[in-house]
Amino acid sequence: MFNKGFPQDKQVTYAGMLWLLAAQLVVMAPLAFYLPVWILPVLLFSAAWRIRVMKGHLEQPRIIIKLFVAVLGIAALSISGLKLISLDMMASLLMLGFAYKTLEVIQRRDAMVVLLTGFLLIGVSFLYSQSILSALYGIFALIVLAGTMIAIQQSKSHSILATLRSASLMVLLCLPLMLVFFIFSPRFSPLWTIPLEASQGKTGISDSMTPGDIAKLSKSDELAFTVTFEGELPKQNELYWRGLVLQYFDGKTWTPFSNKLEFNDIKRQLKISRSELRKRLVKKGYGKKYEVIYEKTAQPWLFALSPVVDIRGNAFFTTDFRIIAERNILEPMMMTVVSYPETLRDVILPDATRQLALQLPPEGNNKSRKLAKELLKQSSSKQEYINTILNRYTQQDFYYTLRPPVLGERDTIDKFLFKSKKGFCAHYAGSFVFMMRAAGIPARIVTGYQGGTLNEKGKFLSIRQYDAHAWTEVWLENQGWIRIDPTASVAPDRVEKNLEAAVEKEGSFLEGKVFSMAKYKWLNSLKNKLDSTQYAWRRFVLSYDNETQKSLLKRLFGEITVHKIATVVGAFFVVIILFWSIFLGLGRKSAKEAQEHQIYRRFCALLAKHGVNREPSQTPQTFSQYASKQLPQLAGDINSFSQLYSELCYNPEKQSNSRENNSLKNIKALKILFKTIKKKL
Amino acid sequence: MSSKQYRQSLREKWLAERFPNTKEITLGLKRIFVMPTMTSAALLLALFVLLLMAINFQSSLIYGLAFWLLALIIISVFFTYRNLSEVTVRAIQASSCFAGEKAVFELEISCPEGQKKSAISVGWKFQDFTTIDLLNKNSVSIKLSHETLKRGIFKPKRVSIFTTFPIGLVVAWSYASLEMQSIVYPTPLLQESSEDGLSLAEDAEQGKEIIRGSTDFSGVRQYQVGDSPKHIHWPSYAKTGEAYTKTFVDYANQDLWLEWDSLALKGIETKLSHLCAKVLQYHQDHQIYGLKIPGKTIQPSSGEAHKTICLTALALYGIS
Repeated sequence: MFNKGFPQDKQVTYAGMLWLLAAQLVVMAPLAFYLPVWILPVLLFSAAWRIRVMKGHLEQPRIIIKLFVAVLGIAALSISGLKLISLDMMASLLMLGFAYKTLEVIQRRDAMVVLLTGFLLIGVSFLYSQSILSALYGIFALIVLAGTMIAIQQSKSHSILATLRSASLMVLLCLPLMLVFFIFSPRFSPLWTIPLEASQGKTGISDSMTPGDIAKLSKSDELAFTVTFEGELPKQNELYWRGLVLQYFDGKTWTPFSNKLEFNDIKRQLKISRSELRKRLVKKGYGKKYEVIYEKTAQPWLFALSPVVDIRGNAFFTTDFRIIAERNILEPMMMTVVSYPETLRDVILPDATRQLALQLPPEGNNKSRKLAKELLKQSSSKQEYINTILNRYTQQDFYYTLRPPVLGERDTIDKFLFKSKKGFCAHYAGSFVFMMRAAGIPARIVTGYQGGTLNEKGKFLSIRQYDAHAWTEVWLENQGWIRIDPTASVAPDRVEKNLEAAVEKEGSFLEGKVFSMAKYKWLNSLKNKLDSTQYAWRRFVLSYDNETQKSLLKRLFGEITVHKIATVVGAFFVVIILFWSIFLGLGRKSAKEAQEHQIYRRFCALLAKHGVNREPSQTPQTFSQYASKQLPQLAGDINSFSQLYSELCYNPEKQSNSRENNSLKNIKALKILFKTIKKKL
Repeated sequence: MSSKQYRQSLREKWLAERFPNTKEITLGLKRIFVMPTMTSAALLLALFVLLLMAINFQSSLIYGLAFWLLALIIISVFFTYRNLSEVTVRAIQASSCFAGEKAVFELEISCPEGQKKSAISVGWKFQDFTTIDLLNKNSVSIKLSHETLKRGIFKPKRVSIFTTFPIGLVVAWSYASLEMQSIVYPTPLLQESSEDGLSLAEDAEQGKEIIRGSTDFSGVRQYQVGDSPKHIHWPSYAKTGEAYTKTFVDYANQDLWLEWDSLALKGIETKLSHLCAKVLQYHQDHQIYGLKIPGKTIQPSSGEAHKTICLTALALYGIS
């Protein structure tokens, strides 16, 4: 290594230590929201100890103490309730090490270890939050870390502001190059699957439905996904974002299958190719093309208008006309989807599907079963039976509420239909499917979202958790699966407008959420603006992956070839490096020497030719004396030349009252003197 | 010649061409080398971990962070280069020393006005180096020492100038091959057993008058401005009305000669070392001494300048 042979003092200075501590706090602060918060005091404790050691108040802790403290920390982590092999645990361990390392930062090298861990921790914090604010905070943390790198390089302490300024300059100048890397570098698919984490837990609609789940969602205004339609927006009551199909009922809970399946099993059972899908569809009506950005849910479910006939993105088609992502969504993911909402699905119903769609628990809810049989007898057709059931919801005093009474464990359908008659979508959908199946009509529950809020500014629909909804599908001869939403009969507002309108009287919209912006109408314009900024953030930054990269590059540069991309990237590099060079003043010629110095230098060179060398230590005066002795015939000229030069250099005050003109005159005189000396030699 | 030696000589030749001997040198594009440091390697490792995280979690922000760090490594090349560019190194002077001691060289490090340079290290590998800042002033003069092994003229190797400022990811370095030389005197080493190489001059018996001494009265002369009033010869003044000044002489009863030929020592270097020690001894005792070595005779005298002349003669003995 180059530094060998130059034994620099590599200890971290006091100022450097303070910088390091500040950087650690900045890096750890956002993680304290998600991970055990007691790691922060550990950091402060280690830092305080180290600083007292530096000031000479304390001794450097001995190994046994360090070991004890480390064991204590790990013990504390193990009882803090984190799963042993999980991201949280890894991140917490990293944080703990990060905090402890402060205790033994003596050399610059130790400080570098801490700083590099700091960079990793910024990355870890992005796993927990990906908002614009988090990103901006990340940049701030990056600047502080870079500032610390500068501070530990400095031998003397400099002003904090100056260091921070140069760190910001450095980090921000990186931006263009970083963008080039970001846009053009190839993206890879995950190398191995990552276990799911509790803290980045699953959100959104779950894969089962017990009345109550959706009520919980209705209390959240978190974003589920955003949609931008190409062309006209469908009507509000047509916006059924289909996500999950629940076929199995155990008397209380609706689930997709009779038992819980791993993702790979689900995929094996449901996945079909596009051509197989086409065979099960009778294409009708118009197509709708739209772009969806799904938010992080840690689940693979995707929501779209049914049936989807085309997708661009990492997802597959299923036998129940859904689309499912190839892996859990851990990062906003963008997809372009084409749906044909009027298309007929499964006009010929496969037997297996029919069986699933007719399943009921062997016993329970006997009142409802009896009613179903009676009503079916009175109906002339299945369609009539369906209408009877739906009318029953409107005619009897069924009531749409987000605060339904508890129905207990058994005979929940009976209790709802005959007793409480109060509930929301899950109750209506559940009881409706039960009544269908009891009458031998294939039916199933579909969960997803309904509706969405249009952002006038960005022309996109935001679908939030409170838009979560459950409805049903019934299979009819020649029509295939048709969508029926029993809730619409009870509370038309829920479907025509939104949940807020449906429960306006009750006032249960976003209950328990005091500070939700969605509750305050007057904040709407600000909210719209914020939403559209966030939309752009997700659309262009967070969801930037292999697919979006391809389409962006195609749009910018046409057909993609390696040659073309290499040329473009090379050109960007050249431009950026030129920009840096100019900005940093590297291209500039060295400052021009003042004229008098130039003449004097020529004078010295001239005398050197004649054997009179000027030592660097000689002032112009001593040199003139020396030169006069060596060249007595020129003594007078040399003297007056040197005097004039000294005056020009060292007596600027003398000239300042006689102004610039005079100094020009003097330089001219100096030139003339130089020429005479040259001639005489 | 082995290939390693050959490579070494090629490198030497290349460096010598690029860094000609000069009194001063200004570092620019052609002379500054840049290399990533071990810190960069460590950062690349962290970056690799970040990329793995980005790939596995499909996180755009972590991709961004990793690329940002990559850009930081690249831009630090420019910043570190800037910290060294346009720095001027100038030789000021070199001090003499005895062989085995350290010669001290004075250099001036400067940069154009309005620029700021931090943490620039200047020095010789395994010898001496110092780290300077040019923040509020444009030039700084530093003293560097370099050990010497043998007497003669010592020309130090190229001075290394390097910096890892601002963030230590990259080291920029250059060399300055400065026209500087230090005269290295022989190591003073008194040989007790020997004849001390000393002979008394023939006129030693009478002693030699040192004019303008102060001990013995030798006569009077016309008063000159600047003569001490204490030395005015008042009797002459009374007689003639003009002032006369008394003159005095000192008698150096022995003029000391340090002679090469009368030394009963073997070996040139031993002799030189011995003579060197003697010169120092006489100088310390305020003696008057002369030096005779083959090819050079220095008339007896005393004082700092005389000592330097003698020591230089000893240092350069046999060296053209």
